[in-house]
Amino acid sequence: MTFSAGPFRASRKAILEAENAYLRKLLAERPPGPDGIYVTGERRRADEAGASRSTAGRTGAEAEVARSAEAEEVNAQLRASEEFNRRVLASTTDCITVLDVEGRLISMNEVAVPVFGGTSFAHVVGRPWIDVWQLPESRDAVLAALEQARAGRSCRFQAALETGAPAETLWWDIVLAPMNGDDGRPERILAVSRDITDLKQTEARQTVLMHEMAHRVKNTLAMVQAVATQTLRNAHSLEEAGDALGARLQALAHAHDVLMQGAWSSADLRGLVDTAVALHSDGEPGRFVIDGPDVTLGPRPGLTLALILHELGTNATKYGALSKPEGRVVIGWNVAMVEGEERLSFRWEEVGGPQVAPPTRVGFGTRLIERSLVHSFGGSAKLQFPEDGVVLTMQAPAANVVVVPAATA
Amino acid sequence: MTDDPSEHPVVLLVEDDGLLLMEASDTLAEAGFTVLEAAHADKALTVLEGRTDVGVLMTDVDMPQGSMDGFALARLVSRRWPGIPVLVVSGMGFPGPNDMPDGARFISKPYQPSALVRTLRAVVGAA
Repeated sequence: MTFSAGPFRASRKAILEAENAYLRKLLAERPPGPDGIYVTGERRRADEAGASRSTAGRTGAEAEVARSAEAEEVNAQLRASEEFNRRVLASTTDCITVLDVEGRLISMNEVAVPVFGGTSFAHVVGRPWIDVWQLPESRDAVLAALEQARAGRSCRFQAALETGAPAETLWWDIVLAPMNGDDGRPERILAVSRDITDLKQTEARQTVLMHEMAHRVKNTLAMVQAVATQTLRNAHSLEEAGDALGARLQALAHAHDVLMQGAWSSADLRGLVDTAVALHSDGEPGRFVIDGPDVTLGPRPGLTLALILHELGTNATKYGALSKPEGRVVIGWNVAMVEGEERLSFRWEEVGGPQVAPPTRVGFGTRLIERSLVHSFGGSAKLQFPEDGVVLTMQAPAANVVVVPAATA
Repeated sequence: MTDDPSEHPVVLLVEDDGLLLMEASDTLAEAGFTVLEAAHADKALTVLEGRTDVGVLMTDVDMPQGSMDGFALARLVSRRWPGIPVLVVSGMGFPGPNDMPDGARFISKPYQPSALVRTLRAVVGAA
């Protein structure tokens, strides 16, 4: 905050003197009433009309004593009122500033001093308020509001103040109102400024979140479209396609529930497995044996794994271990250093099912596993068909699939 | 199969999502394109440096694994290989004023497979 001190200092005395004269004028215009501190002109005239009646019949000395007592009382009330007003101004967290009609700082409460004044009020009295505002948009808003106030209209606007600290901008919600004289014309301008920086930051976060959400919804729709087209592409009949699509969308929907718990930015691996297993378990206990440490996946690997698990579960139910009462599926995972790189390994192993033969054609699930693991996540996948049941092992660099869990609210 | 490359234009498909890649790849292969796949921008550049028959680049925008996003890749490719037309595909809303190189096309996700094929054919035909 820089402004030339020379001419400014010279005019400060004049401004203070003018201000004192103004305050004296206000006091002269508003003599204290008998039972209040300030009374309106209307009230004053009414009191004066009645005064002649109430004092009639009293002696001069009695009247003198009564007047003196009244004056004493009024003085006490004035002091009390002044103290009360001082406390109001000192207690509020709003910056309350009085400007002259030229827009120069005349008076401010304590909280406003460091914000608009710098080190001390005496240092800035008489300084144009507009000098505080550096950002072009804020300057425009302040100048327009001052113009309105001079024209007798109050207005409310927002303005940003750079504090000098890097990347710190304070936002203010400001009400500028004219303080009118007896002639109804603005004599002073009252500026009440409330710090809304937190609100602005929340608003900004909200906007980012909305954009992020829009992005994710579009991605989800693109994913749904790809699943639908792929399903239709590979189905033998429309009925089969309808069933398969419905089940796949349901698997995606359940995976989204797990993602929601991770604020859409992560998915708990066990949560994904439990969800997928619930969709394919027939209520018999012990159909699935699950073992693995806490691991959090990124949203995309999470959704992909959910789809993969769904395909595995569907196949196991139709042709594999889950098609027999004694069949089981053993699911396990771990994160370990392999060849100097941290990797997530995942294993799906079917036991106790019928003898399985490798499929004659490459289906949606197999292609998805291959594409996602190798292509998207830079990993590898091996799908084997030993006599005991299907075994799928997947491996991917942890850096590509594992994330730090989202903070739980 | 004929030897005329215009019958089977080569499209380099840059997409980090396996499922979306699989679907786009199938759609384009069915439409008669020869499809090369890359999971992110850096892999796409390696492909372009290694062959001369790429007829069109189709790229996603948001690809965290590469060193640049799809817009930067599109701009780089149109500078280094001005003969290769560019199609950008994204679910992130429409591109900003300086995102796209001159002459590049944009399709937002999700898209109609038939619209993708139509656009790619037009882009290749115009090149």
